[in-house]
Amino acid sequence: MGEDELNLTRYVLRRLAISVPTLLVATFVCFLLVAAAGDPLAEQRSRPGANQDAIAVLAHELRLDEGVVPRYFHWLGGFLSGDWGSSIALEPVFDKVTSAYGVTFGLVIGAEVLALVTGVLVGVVAAVRQYRLADHVATALAFLLFAMPVFCIALVLKDFAVQLNDWVRDLGLTGLLGNPWIRTSSPESLESHGFGDLVVKYIGAYLLPTLAVMAVSFAGYSRFQRASMLETLNTDYVRTARAKGISPARVIFRHAFRNALIPVATLFSLNFGVVLSGAVITERVFNWNGMGSVLVTAVNADDPYLLMGWIVLIGATVVVANLVADVCYGVLDPRIRVG
Amino acid sequence: MRRGRLVLRRFRRHRLAMAGVVALAVLVLAVLIVPLWWPHDYGDASFPPFVPPNAEFPLGTNKIGLDMLAQIVRGTQLSLLIAVTVSIVATTLGVALGSLAGYRRGFTDAAVSRLTDLFLIVPQIAVAAILVKVFDGSWFTVALILSAFYWTQSARITRGEAMSLAQREFVESARAAGAGTARIITRHLLPNMTGTIAVNATLAVAQAVLLEAGLSFVGLGVQLPDTSLGRIIFDNYTQFSGRPWLFFWPFGVLVLISLALNFIGDGLRDAFDART
Amino acid sequence: MRRSRAVRAGSVLTAAVLALSACSGGTDGKAGANVDVNAMKTGKLESGDDYKLAEAPESEEVKVGVDDSFTSYNANVPGAGHPGANAVLTTVLAKPFELDGANKVLLNRDVMDSVTVLAKDPQVVQWKIKADVKWSDGRPWSCRDLYLSWLAQSGLPKGADGKPVFTPGDSGGFNLVDSAACKDETTFEAHFKKPYLDYKGLFSTTGWVLPSHILEAKTGIPDVTALTPAGDPAALKKAADFWNKGWLEFNPELMPASGPYKLVAVDKNAESVTLEKNPQWAGAKGGPKKITVRVIKDRNEMASALENGEIDVVSSSQPDESVTKKLQGLAGKGIVCGSAQLLSFEHLDFNYKRMFGDVVLRRAFMAAVDRKAIVDKLIKPVYADAQPLGSVQFFQGEPGYQDRYGAKSGLGPEAAAKILSDAGWVKDPDGIFAKNGKRFEVTITHAASELRTSTVQLITTQAKQAGILVHDELDPKFTKGRAQQGGYDIALFAWSQAPFKAEGAPVYKSAGNGPSQNWQGLSDPKVDQAFTTAVSTTDPAEAARQYAAADQAIADQYATLPLYAAPSLWAFRGIDRVYLQSYNGVLWNVGEWARTS
Repeated sequence: MGEDELNLTRYVLRRLAISVPTLLVATFVCFLLVAAAGDPLAEQRSRPGANQDAIAVLAHELRLDEGVVPRYFHWLGGFLSGDWGSSIALEPVFDKVTSAYGVTFGLVIGAEVLALVTGVLVGVVAAVRQYRLADHVATALAFLLFAMPVFCIALVLKDFAVQLNDWVRDLGLTGLLGNPWIRTSSPESLESHGFGDLVVKYIGAYLLPTLAVMAVSFAGYSRFQRASMLETLNTDYVRTARAKGISPARVIFRHAFRNALIPVATLFSLNFGVVLSGAVITERVFNWNGMGSVLVTAVNADDPYLLMGWIVLIGATVVVANLVADVCYGVLDPRIRVG
Repeated sequence: MRRGRLVLRRFRRHRLAMAGVVALAVLVLAVLIVPLWWPHDYGDASFPPFVPPNAEFPLGTNKIGLDMLAQIVRGTQLSLLIAVTVSIVATTLGVALGSLAGYRRGFTDAAVSRLTDLFLIVPQIAVAAILVKVFDGSWFTVALILSAFYWTQSARITRGEAMSLAQREFVESARAAGAGTARIITRHLLPNMTGTIAVNATLAVAQAVLLEAGLSFVGLGVQLPDTSLGRIIFDNYTQFSGRPWLFFWPFGVLVLISLALNFIGDGLRDAFDART
Repeated sequence: MRRSRAVRAGSVLTAAVLALSACSGGTDGKAGANVDVNAMKTGKLESGDDYKLAEAPESEEVKVGVDDSFTSYNANVPGAGHPGANAVLTTVLAKPFELDGANKVLLNRDVMDSVTVLAKDPQVVQWKIKADVKWSDGRPWSCRDLYLSWLAQSGLPKGADGKPVFTPGDSGGFNLVDSAACKDETTFEAHFKKPYLDYKGLFSTTGWVLPSHILEAKTGIPDVTALTPAGDPAALKKAADFWNKGWLEFNPELMPASGPYKLVAVDKNAESVTLEKNPQWAGAKGGPKKITVRVIKDRNEMASALENGEIDVVSSSQPDESVTKKLQGLAGKGIVCGSAQLLSFEHLDFNYKRMFGDVVLRRAFMAAVDRKAIVDKLIKPVYADAQPLGSVQFFQGEPGYQDRYGAKSGLGPEAAAKILSDAGWVKDPDGIFAKNGKRFEVTITHAASELRTSTVQLITTQAKQAGILVHDELDPKFTKGRAQQGGYDIALFAWSQAPFKAEGAPVYKSAGNGPSQNWQGLSDPKVDQAFTTAVSTTDPAEAARQYAAADQAIADQYATLPLYAAPSLWAFRGIDRVYLQSYNGVLWNVGEWARTS
């Protein structure tokens, strides 16, 4: 056991030793790109009556008057010591990006876990009942969700929510559930009195965006779990277990299910960074001011340091998620560690 | 060749996949043929706005008076072009680098792996958005940008496949006979990976169509005068309840393409996978 | 995607009376629709040129959705001056003049006694503040605050290195003040270098008045009025450092209110701002007890949030047909909506340095563009009374407005073709005019905006019928550098704020030395002459005549084709009187909103 742990630590360290320089290179490439996107102050400069002196001072402060390479190293130095620079509106990037990250993370993590659980369950059922009705329904649903752009799903959800709230009003349940209950845009606060009220408010605020984020991930997980489950069901040891006369339910859950879970768990982790940045669209539709809103603002304003903060935070998430995936895989399946 | 025929026979038996092929073929033919005789040009905005579907405008006109049928045909053309470009560029790049890495191993492998890591770490949506601004929002630029991210997928898969194939006897003997890397890859590795490559390319197309639609929705995808199904849906999705035909036709075509591609991918996988 | 505006609104002091239509109509007899939105554009107690907040019954929280984020308490620094800041500050910081919904300039009687021109040439203006006007922290709102505002924005104070120390985004008007002084605690007097007819905009639409006592306390400077532009560089630097940066991050201690509401919370994360009544406010004390201002970027989401009861008021500066229709359809749920035109206009600029140096081509292109068709398709669905704009100096409804383009534009493809063939242009086999091997093939360049893209699509179709080939080029960076260098055939963009005519002059005057916004290369002595006279006269009537003359001369040049003023849209439920002010948003009169449900 001791040696195994040592191996694992070594493995993690090695992965880190590779990932961190990669992340650094990525920041440099992105910095060049962002710089190529344009002068963030150009529009201000071109206004009649614009105070050119003040803009020059601002440009100097943002180091826009320097070459891109020295600017990069200055940014990097600051970044590593915790100063992520400021946006062109002179807000600290760190605060802006991390709080937006919090919003998006809070939204995505719940949705992803739910998608994972439901996806795995549906996938298992579909595999066990292969080519029967349950499988066909699950497959059809997954394909349909795969094929639909997420904003279309969101649109249908919103229309439905407005209707639902009207019913809540008609039934006189607003005292209990709040008015409106299901929200189509982000809540100002989740201030509540008592646990029950918090749950009600939480559901009202999170239901629609959670469903939208879930929809796409669920399709992926259920398909993946189905395939992986089918594979394990066909392995020798499961066949043997079956042949030995162990009850089918026991075979499925004790033997097949656990092994089939490994790839899905890995996928969950690998996917996380992508899902996080992919929430841009969902956030926009439901007016959540998270990473999506920061990205759109930053891109439109050519805001260099804000964009960099965004990119690094998401990049770091991907690195960490991949590491977690590797470790999971390493722990669950010792064969990997050798290579 | 015998295997190819077998795969084809299996694929033909996959009903959904065949339905996908037929649907896609009909669609491609339609978008190629319809513009030849359809009287309304996709760029002609001289018609009255918001005409409901009628004999002259079977799918109505949009808010500025563009014929929706011509729009959807044009959008489908460009969406398919984007998808095909992405799949060709990304697959070629991915397969070339992936098989090289898997076969050569050592330094090549390390270099390719670092490169894929780099593309995995960089958030696609941000980089795509910046690139669209730095260059332009034409369909070709968008297709190239999307390709830049999809090649990593096929590279990863091909690398694994190439690695295991490289251990096989027939590769060993070819190498012993003095065949060079290029020859081994093209003559011995690639023919044995067609299944994986085909499946992956098909699914990448399906994803690219949707990703482009998503980018268009946040205003970061294809920019006019070029268009795409995603853009058309985005332009009209608010008409969802008021003038549903403006939304549901482009939406339907997009879902159709995406479904068909997914089915085909599924069928290909089944056809190639089952070992005999 | 925000429409990028090359010019931020500087001052909008004009008596323009913009026509308006209630988007919910009133003739269709639906419940909630028979409200006269048009009557809401004035203040309840507005009379003549005076404004005062009316008493209203106190009510609970109001939630307002806007489309721009709040930037900073000090909206005078570059990057912070933004519609999103104005929309909140309008009710937080008092100003000598208010603008009502019709953009009429009104003396703010809640805080001012008078603003008087004491001498015309050289111009001397005196601002007289009412006695006992206070900041929310109890300190007086006085001449010192106006003085600091002028000092910081004049661009005159220099540091030890000879560079300006304050960094205001805009110095327009303030830099024309040679010297200023506090005659007493409530009287501010400014001496101008040259006549400046837009003086009412100072401290009102250009330059917010910030608390000087906070700056004094934070910097240890005992008296800001002792600071002069030529004074001690070290002291000026100290003051400037705080002014430039001290108000960037939200801190209620440093951000007292002089208007009816004070800032209690700014959540940059949720992009919401919370306001509460300012107990020290000099005027009427009623109205909503609390206001939450939230940013909702997607206009369709605005409609569903309003329908769903999540907010009470929404406003959008970029509405389209579908959101208008959706809001109109909600009249049955008690939602009232209105639309008006913003003080910004889209136009086509022809570049003299390229093909359009030839007046024949400018004439032909203008003739081919049917602006009425464009307005009918793009603007009327939102703002029913919209007409093509006929002037680059005046908006519709403003005194002096005259349609100078009606006889030049929209003449039809035949007329356009005739202009070209008369000048020796001949159609190629593909129907495109050409002369000496040069085809009439041009590109319209613009920054991203749905409205502009649609506009170009319509123009392309119209031009093609006349034998002109138009390409559409979307360049997100267009107004960020490229337009300035004249890198285009035709530019499609908006000037916001034309009524501030003195600042609009550099757009059309011959580009000389120094900064110029005349990117297209127009140079006409008649235009130059009219603007030169207009900006230096002391007589408003003469200025108006000269601006009109310049307007006509520009039209006669066929230099630029104004298309339309962009529409705005707002909607609300359960409140008696809401009107979107083009410059300051919906909150300009929030202190007198009364709940109707």
